[in-house]
Amino acid sequence: MWNEYSFGLAIAFACALIGFAALTRERDDLHKLLLIDLVETASLAVIALIGTDLAEALILPGLVVGIAELLALSQIYLTKEGYQQNPVKGLNIEVMMRSPAPVILSTILVVYGIILSGFTGGGIAGLGVVFFLMSRSFTGDFHVLEIASGISWALWVAAFFVFMFLPGWWYFALLGAAIGILLKVITKMSLVGAMWGETE
Amino acid sequence: MNEIGGAPLFFLEFGDIVIYFSPFTITLFLLALVFSVFVLVSRPERQIDIAFGADAFYAKVISLSELKFRRFMSIACGLACMGAMVTGDLFDFTLFVSLVGICNVGIVAAVKSRHVQNAAYQYGLVALAGTVPMFAAAAMVAATTGTLSMLELAEGTIQVPLAARALLVLGVMGEGMAPFYAAKAEMFRAPGAPYVIMCSLSSLLIFLRVAEVILVL
Repeated sequence: MWNEYSFGLAIAFACALIGFAALTRERDDLHKLLLIDLVETASLAVIALIGTDLAEALILPGLVVGIAELLALSQIYLTKEGYQQNPVKGLNIEVMMRSPAPVILSTILVVYGIILSGFTGGGIAGLGVVFFLMSRSFTGDFHVLEIASGISWALWVAAFFVFMFLPGWWYFALLGAAIGILLKVITKMSLVGAMWGETE
Repeated sequence: MNEIGGAPLFFLEFGDIVIYFSPFTITLFLLALVFSVFVLVSRPERQIDIAFGADAFYAKVISLSELKFRRFMSIACGLACMGAMVTGDLFDFTLFVSLVGICNVGIVAAVKSRHVQNAAYQYGLVALAGTVPMFAAAAMVAATTGTLSMLELAEGTIQVPLAARALLVLGVMGEGMAPFYAAKAEMFRAPGAPYVIMCSLSSLLIFLRVAEVILVL
């Protein structure tokens, strides 16, 4: 009766119950939204308890649905409360201008990201670029980055078509998809980092 | 196989996910389709408020952008309903139901009125909370029986735990059945008649379908 799965399930449901209990006591609308997001995590834990490859395939749509609803609700919250313009002020990381530390850290991150490759690698390398741009307060042309992002996205999709229609070339497609998603995530994240400090 | 909605007429296979049309599901599917077409071709109602003490009335005007957005949301809701009606995969079903929930929130939230926005926000919170038991139920079914296919579960050889069924009903009630608890006057008093119907219709359809799903499991 009480095997590993049941224990995991009990713990996950206990977490969800604690979240819901907090929700019943909370009165602030924004805090309610955050608490519900917290409870969502418990449901992802229940899905993860399946413990096979299927879990991975089910978590992704579950997460996407959760995030989509969260975005929609936060948009409604902004409209409801009348926050129309809400400019982001930037992070204001103070770095001495001549210091070589940001360059070294960014290089390490980018190289490590490229070695990892794929989605995770793209995230880490992109983080390096974001850090570099933030420390240098980069202002420049983002057009090139956008084009690179688009092209790498197309490469990723093309690789998937190769998987579907020319399965014999799977190794080529695998490399294409890995490089495509790497470049895509790097450029997207550096765009995020570059636009963060932008004042309107 | 225990058949609730009659023998399946034909199957549409997408890999593991088998879409099946039984007399029951095909009826619901057609209902959703017909109402989606109605929404597509109809014009929004203009609400009239009588001014008391005078021989006058106010006519509420719906802007074109709002009309377009609500029509899009209603049609998306109809499509999601159609998917939820015929799918033969439990996780697929929960995803379609949550899509219906998002669309319902969108239909209601398009109205630029503080009371309506408040009601939509509360409804959205419940819908978001509803995904927790719903996905948990689908995951529990997958973990205990090893399959998510309703056709395989309908064979009756594997027993689905009662807790999973209860959680599924709870989640679907929160997510897909808007007026079941959200019979707030603010929501349905808002102008734009044909689109709000989609909220009620999707709730009705999902109620009927989830009853079938629970009986089949």
